[in-house]
Amino acid sequence: MGKLSIPLILLIVTILSVLMIDQPQPKADFTFTNNIGVTTLDVQRMSWMQDLRVARLLFEGLVHNDVLSREFRTIPGVAESWEVSPDNLVYTFHLRDNARWSNGKSVTASDFVYSWRRGILPDTAADYSGMFFKIQGARAFFQWRNQKLASFDPKTTTAQTLWEQTEKQFADTVKIQALDDFTLRVELESPTPYFLDLCAFSIFSPVYPPLVKQYETLDPDTGRLISERGWTKPPAVISNGPFKLTLWRFKRDMRLEKNPHYWNKETVAIDSIHIPTIEDPNAAVLAFETGALDWSSDVIPSYRADMLQAKEAFYQENASLYEKLKNQGLDPIEIDRQLPQDPRANIHAFPAFGTYFWNFNCSPRLVDGRINPFADPRVRRAFALAIDKQTIVKQVRRLGEPIASTLIPPGSIGGYASPAGLGYDPRLARELLAQAGYKDPSTMMTIELLFNKDSGHDLIGQSIARSWRENLGVSVTLRTKELKVFKDDLKKHNFMTSRAGWFGDYGDPTTFLEINRSTDGNNDRNYSNPIYDDLLDQADKELDTHKRMAILSQAEQLIMEQDLPMIPIFHYVQINLFDAHRITGISSHPRQQQDLFLVDVFGDGKGPDLPRALPPSEPILNDQPDLALSEEGSQ
Amino acid sequence: MGRLILWRLIQLPFILLVIYTITLTLAWKIPGNPLENPEGRRPPPEIALAMQAQYNLDSFPRFYVSYLDSLTGIRWLRESIDGTARQQATNAEAQGLALPPRHVIDLGPSLQYKDQRVNEIIASSLPVSVLLGATSILIALVIGVFAGVVGAIKPNSLIDLVTLTVALVGISLPSFVIGTVLLLIFSVTLRWLPVATWGSPRDMLLPAITLSLPFAAYIARLIRMGMIEQLSSDYVRTARAKGASTMRVLLGHALKNASLPVLSFLGPATALAMTGSFVVERVFSVPGIGQHFVNAVQNKDLFLIMGVVLVFATMLVLFNLVVDVLYKWIDPRIE
Repeated sequence: MGKLSIPLILLIVTILSVLMIDQPQPKADFTFTNNIGVTTLDVQRMSWMQDLRVARLLFEGLVHNDVLSREFRTIPGVAESWEVSPDNLVYTFHLRDNARWSNGKSVTASDFVYSWRRGILPDTAADYSGMFFKIQGARAFFQWRNQKLASFDPKTTTAQTLWEQTEKQFADTVKIQALDDFTLRVELESPTPYFLDLCAFSIFSPVYPPLVKQYETLDPDTGRLISERGWTKPPAVISNGPFKLTLWRFKRDMRLEKNPHYWNKETVAIDSIHIPTIEDPNAAVLAFETGALDWSSDVIPSYRADMLQAKEAFYQENASLYEKLKNQGLDPIEIDRQLPQDPRANIHAFPAFGTYFWNFNCSPRLVDGRINPFADPRVRRAFALAIDKQTIVKQVRRLGEPIASTLIPPGSIGGYASPAGLGYDPRLARELLAQAGYKDPSTMMTIELLFNKDSGHDLIGQSIARSWRENLGVSVTLRTKELKVFKDDLKKHNFMTSRAGWFGDYGDPTTFLEINRSTDGNNDRNYSNPIYDDLLDQADKELDTHKRMAILSQAEQLIMEQDLPMIPIFHYVQINLFDAHRITGISSHPRQQQDLFLVDVFGDGKGPDLPRALPPSEPILNDQPDLALSEEGSQ
Repeated sequence: MGRLILWRLIQLPFILLVIYTITLTLAWKIPGNPLENPEGRRPPPEIALAMQAQYNLDSFPRFYVSYLDSLTGIRWLRESIDGTARQQATNAEAQGLALPPRHVIDLGPSLQYKDQRVNEIIASSLPVSVLLGATSILIALVIGVFAGVVGAIKPNSLIDLVTLTVALVGISLPSFVIGTVLLLIFSVTLRWLPVATWGSPRDMLLPAITLSLPFAAYIARLIRMGMIEQLSSDYVRTARAKGASTMRVLLGHALKNASLPVLSFLGPATALAMTGSFVVERVFSVPGIGQHFVNAVQNKDLFLIMGVVLVFATMLVLFNLVVDVLYKWIDPRIE
């Protein structure tokens, strides 16, 4: 028997030794799940919503968006103040002298120059490098470096020589200058009303140059600047935001502690944040319900629709008080906080800055060589008119998402008037088809709907297919692909119609409209209309804000009422879980950015314990979400 | 014994090389571009090409060789000798910054997670899976041996039927069903145990039990069959005849011999349990290594696919070696 117990002893020793190494963490002041977890904390290279969410805690840019203002105004960050030249082309930022990195060193203007250069350099391969191209010389510098790299020959020159040339080229041609330690001057290509809004985006946040340079090497064979990974992790990582990162166990958890060097640390009402990774959508809901989480950022399980209905029932039970609060124009979170406490009220659906739509391939021919019926805008318009969006929203999604007839969620951008778009009109649709030469639509080639297999796109696809079959009499087939393959097909325009969606990045219509420019990298539809491109170019040059918005509105009208490269189906809502009686500082703004350093936990003995919410809007007269954003929405 | 161990350890690199070659060839054929974020913005084409080149994704032979170079520690050795490593250390020290980590066995960067190296991903997830796996095998042994012995004492009795049925359920019910039911009972309804957290032994209980059940069921059947066979053998009759107690016959003689098949099952079972289960990890939000087997393939994250496969293969070979050594030691008749 003695020898047989050896395996048992081995197992027990293994268990005990792992338990010794892997110590649990103390409970943090605020715990939340962050979708599927952070993929990168390299601010210049990020693009995922959950990455940006944590980046805003760790890194601070020149300015912030005030997520608790209706107009989403920009407020000082590292920059204490700034001046804009009368022609709106030169921005001079004055940095505060008490902004500090988490190692105590000052944040200087040259840190921004280095970081923005990093964002522009093609070597960094930043998803958002194009955002810097509003700065004078940035696009030309990007192309110059790209061309130099393409023609790089290690036999005639060295990577070091090319790099020195590159640094000089940047200093000479790109108009980002540190006038002194605390003054940053930026010149733009053209007046960009939303430039400050861009500066609030994490891509424009600074990184600590001495740290990041440690991880940079020049590749002698290609001349490229290679950034090794690792500087974003504790203990190496150095940041300048309200929090610092003290632990990052990949796919497991993250821990943030208040940054003792942060200039505005007095306003931060929590000392520590814990972010466990919970990939299973169901487990995240359970974790919230059992008290392990204070906030769940993305609620995905299919029963969320029932949870929202339960909340509706809760509102019905408290109808008189609810109506009264609603008529005061209160922030929905504030309404929940003033209603009696009830677990049903913990789910929150906020309007989001994104739209679900269905793509048409607009190429003259399909990839297999057949003539594409959707090359004709009349056909696209007919198919758009024939979709019963109400059924999709009410019976398939059941999340209270508003039906979309435009690409840009109406009311989400200050000073912008959305066009009307198209409605639901099967009769007109059939007429249009007949005009386009399809008197008998059943003779049309089989229409294919392409989507990836997850996230309920199949149900929406079926609903659309049914609309087209019944309203137009065409034959329709559904095709499911794995996400990567699906995306590959879109890129190669290998589809007839496909599901799609888009979220805006900054407070300007161009964040949505640019994807339909004929040369844009995200123009999956292969849509090309010189009039549309020309309208976008005109808007780019227009100095008058009102006229500019009018031109952009005209451009959206063109694609939403005439050309229909895509059919908007609904505008997304963001669904999250938290108890408004316990947590404050979460924003319900449709731009849906969260500055979690604003979070305060009621009754935890830290912070002022005062509710932080959007101010009341004007009393609401209709059912539309009233987001009367002011003219200066992006100033 | 020494020769057995030595021989197996010499074999290991060759086994791994074959696995490396086959897996890489298969993984290379997965469609899609691993560097593209499917839900995100698309980089300009020249950048996409440059990134492909940076990771050698444009040429299979180049990838094969360069990855083997860093994987085997040859690159580490080269950099240590030619002074690159020392240079880096001096630079970091001069700036007062933390030194970029260097790994002897460098499994490369993850293509999907821009901040992670495969070494770090495995370092953060493997201990979790090892802990969970070891605990579940321990639980499986206790349950399995007990159920097997009880069943074998009175074959075809009620208690035997019950344990057999439970074993059958344990093998056939998928773990997402068992896991979800346990979660609903103990965490959601009774609120005895936490949900979706990882850190304390309490968090480990439900996932470990769920993971252990199929193993327990298999062990129970192995023990029961072995015991029934042993109990009807001559030496047991002799032992009984000379007056040995029932307990002594059961545990001292029959169980000892009936355990040998279980021992050989334990090698692959432990390797399997310790390299994680995608389903159990998902249901209980256990941050183990199992998730990466599935995610890495879905995302065509070549380095991560190779990393987890090689770790699994190494563990499988090593555990089988440990079992063989134990086997030979317990029962010297075995060649």
